[in-house]
Amino acid sequence: MPALLTKNRSMFWRIIRRLFESNRGRLFVILLALAAGAAVTAALLNLQVDAKRRLTTEFRAFGANVLVTPGPDPSRNWSPTLPESLVSSVTSALMPPGGRAVGLLYALASVRVSKLHGPGAYDEPQGPVQAVIVGYSSDAFRELLPHQTIEVSQPLGYETPLCYLGINVARKLKANARDSLVLDPWNDCFVQEVDSFGGPEDNRIFVDLESAQRVAGLPAAISLVEVRIPGTARQIEQAAASLQRSIPSAEVRPIRQFTEAEAKIYDRISGVLTATVAIVLLLTGLCVMAAMTNVAMERRNDVGLMKAIGGASRRVLRLFLAEAALLGLTGGVLGAAAGIALSIGLGKAVFGVAARPRLIVYPVSVVLTIIVAIAGAFPLRRLTSIRAASVFRGEA
Amino acid sequence: MFLRLVADSVTRRPRQKLLTTAALALGMAVATAALSVSLDVGDRLAREFRSLGANLLVTPQADSLPLEIGGVDYRPVNSGAYLPDSDLPKLKTIFWRNNIVAFAPVLEVPVQAWSPASKNVSSPGVVKDVTLIGTWSQHTVTLPDGGMFETGVGKTNPWWHIAGQWFVENSKDCIIGAALAKKIAMKTGDELSVGARDHTHWTKLRITGILSSGGSEEDAVIAPLAIAQQLAGKPGEYRQLYVSALTKPEDDFGRRDPKTMKPDELERWSCSPYVSSIAFSIKQVLPGADVRIIRRVAEGEGRILTRVRILLWLVTLAALLAAALAVGASSAASVIERRTEIGLMKALGAGSGTVGFLLAAEQLLLAFVGGGIGYALGIFLARVVGEKIFGAAPEPSLLVLVLTIGLAAGVTLLGSAVPLRRASRYEPAPILRGE
Repeated sequence: MPALLTKNRSMFWRIIRRLFESNRGRLFVILLALAAGAAVTAALLNLQVDAKRRLTTEFRAFGANVLVTPGPDPSRNWSPTLPESLVSSVTSALMPPGGRAVGLLYALASVRVSKLHGPGAYDEPQGPVQAVIVGYSSDAFRELLPHQTIEVSQPLGYETPLCYLGINVARKLKANARDSLVLDPWNDCFVQEVDSFGGPEDNRIFVDLESAQRVAGLPAAISLVEVRIPGTARQIEQAAASLQRSIPSAEVRPIRQFTEAEAKIYDRISGVLTATVAIVLLLTGLCVMAAMTNVAMERRNDVGLMKAIGGASRRVLRLFLAEAALLGLTGGVLGAAAGIALSIGLGKAVFGVAARPRLIVYPVSVVLTIIVAIAGAFPLRRLTSIRAASVFRGEA
Repeated sequence: MFLRLVADSVTRRPRQKLLTTAALALGMAVATAALSVSLDVGDRLAREFRSLGANLLVTPQADSLPLEIGGVDYRPVNSGAYLPDSDLPKLKTIFWRNNIVAFAPVLEVPVQAWSPASKNVSSPGVVKDVTLIGTWSQHTVTLPDGGMFETGVGKTNPWWHIAGQWFVENSKDCIIGAALAKKIAMKTGDELSVGARDHTHWTKLRITGILSSGGSEEDAVIAPLAIAQQLAGKPGEYRQLYVSALTKPEDDFGRRDPKTMKPDELERWSCSPYVSSIAFSIKQVLPGADVRIIRRVAEGEGRILTRVRILLWLVTLAALLAAALAVGASSAASVIERRTEIGLMKALGAGSGTVGFLLAAEQLLLAFVGGGIGYALGIFLARVVGEKIFGAAPEPSLLVLVLTIGLAAGVTLLGSAVPLRRASRYEPAPILRGE
C-alpha cells in the first residue's frame, strides 16, 4: 500500500509539472494576473499602514498643539510666570519621542535700531518703540511657530545674541536683517531674520531667553511653554493628561484649534485611504479571479481526458486545485516582493522617506493571492459533472 | 458576414464572454472608483481643512504696534488705526469670491466688567482687565449684487464651543469665556455690566452662553460688533478681519513675489487660488489694509494636501495598473483558447489580417460593454465612499467615462495583441489535427 501511495504521489506531481509545461503562454498570463494582484495588495497594505503613521508627523507643520500656562495658585490667585526649569521637566515628560517643547517669556520693552549695514548705516539710532519681546528657551521655537522668512542674514561670526523680528515690528522700526537692536536699556541683539507669521507673532521680537529675562527683570522665569506632541488625537490627549499629572502646578491645555482639526482631518484622510485601498483590493481580487476562472474553464478537455482514462472526480479536482494553489504561491511571492519594492518607492515619492516594509504584509498578501487563485479555479468543480464523451465529441 | 461572425462568436459561448466581460467590468470599476475619488478628494479635503479656521488675517496698514500679551492689549486706548466695516461686502466681489467661505471682523476693547450685584468698583465682582471682543455671530452681509451671504465667527473659528447659545446680532447679549465665568462666578442668563476704562460708555449685557476655546478668548467677553464699536467710540469700524478661504496648495510658483513676475506669469498666478493670490486680491478691494497669510494654518494645510493628493494619485495609478494587467491577462486567455477556431478560419482561406481584425473587433465590443458596466459600478462605489467619508458624493465626470472606456479598449487590445500575433503564425493543419 505505501508503495502505491508513493507511486500515486509521484504521478500526481508529474501531472502537475506537465500541466505547467504544456502551455507556457497560458502560464505566463496567469502568473502575470496573480502577481499584479499580489503586488498591488502588498504595496497598498504596506503604504496604508505607513501613510497613516507618517501623516501624524506631517501635522507638525501646524506648530505647537499644547500650551503649558501658569495654573491657578491658591496663595496668589493667578501666578503670572512659571519657573524656567519647567521646560526641561516638560521635555523629559514627553513620552512619545519627537515631541518638542519651548519656554517663552513675554515682556514689554522699548526698542531702538542701530543700523550697522546698508543704507543709513552709522545713522543715529531709530526709535525707541514700545514692543512685545519674547524670550525663547531653545531654537525649537522656529519649528513650533510656522512662518515665512522675509529676510535673512548670514550668521555673524561673533557672539551677539540673535533675534528674529515679526514683520510688523520690522516695518515699524524700519529694521532689516543684519541690523542691531537695542532693547532697553543695555541689551542688544543682531537681527538674524525678519519673518511673517500671520498672527500676533508679527508684532513681536524674539530674543534669547536670558536677554528677555534681564529686560523683564524676571530671572529664571517663563510665561508659558509651547509643546508639540506628535500622534493622533487620542495620543495627544493621553500625553497631555500625563503631562498634567507630572507638573500639577501648571495648567496643560491642548490648543483646540489644531488638535480638533488634526483629529478631523486625520479621520477623513485615513478614511479615504482605507476605503480606496479596500475597494481596490476587493476589485483587484475579483478581477484576478475572473481571469483565473476564464483560464480554468478552458481546461475542459483535460478534465474530460482524465475522467475518460479513469480519474475519479475528486482526484481530478484536487489536481487542478493544487495547480491553482501552486500558481497562487508563485504569483503571490513574486508579486508581493515587487509590491514591497513598489511601496518603498511610493513612500519616497509621497513623504520623502521610504516606507518601512512590514513583514506581516508579505505573508498576508501571498495567502490572499493563493485564496484568490483557488477561488478562481473553483468553477472546475462543475466540470466534475462533465461527461467525458460529450467533451470529446466537441460538444460545448 | 463579418458582423455575423462577431455576433455568432458572442452568442455561441456566452459563459466565456460573460467571464471576460466580468473581468473587464471589475477592472474598470476599480479604475473608475479610484479615479473619481482622486479627482474629487482634493476639493473635499480643502473644505475639511477649513475646520482649522481662518487662513488670512486683515489688519489696518497704519496701525500702531499692538502690545498684546496673553490676549490683553497694553496699548493706550484709541491709539492705532481702524478699518471701515462698510467695505466688507466687497470681499465677495473679488475674483476668488466663491473661494471665500467665511469672514468675521473683530474689534477688541479693553473693558471693566462687573455683575449688577456689586455695589461699587471695588466690590469683589469687578474685573478690571477684561477684553471685550466685538464680532459677528450670524451676520447676513448684503452683497453689492443684491445677494446675501451669511457668515460669522463660528465659521472662521469652528473650534469655539458654546455651552448655551450664540448671541443674536443687534441685541444686548453676549457670551463669556469659561475662565472668566469661573472668575466672576456667573452663568448663562445672568446680566453682566461692561464699561469702557475711561467710564464714558457702559452697558448691561445678558449672558447667553459660555465659550470654551482652549485659547485666550476664555478670559474675554464676546459681544456683537456694534456694542464693541459703541464702547470704543468707533462706530462702523473694526481692527482685525479673519478670512477663511479655500485655497490651492502653494508650490514654488505660488510662493513667488508677484512683483517679480512677467505679465503672463502674473496672470497665471492670479488665476490660481493660491492663498497668496487670494490675499493679493483682497488687499486690492480693502484700501489701507494689510493682508497676512496665517502661516500656521496655510503652511500645514498646503503640505498635507499636497502629500495626500500625491498619495491618492499613486494608489489610483497602482489600481489602474493592476486592473490593466488582470484585464489584459483575461483577454489574452480568451484569445489563446481559440486556437482551433483560428486554425479553421485560416484553413478556409482567411488571411492573418482578417482573423486578427475579427478577433480585435470582438474584444473591442467586449471592452465597450465591460467598460460601460464597470464605469457604472465604479461610480456607485465612489458614491458610497464619498457619502460615507465626506457626506457628499463626487460628481460623475465625463472625463472619467472617456478615460475608462479608452483604457478598457487599450488594455484588451494590448492583452490580445501578443497571442494574436502568435496566432497569425499558426499553421492550420497541426491545430486542426489537434496537435
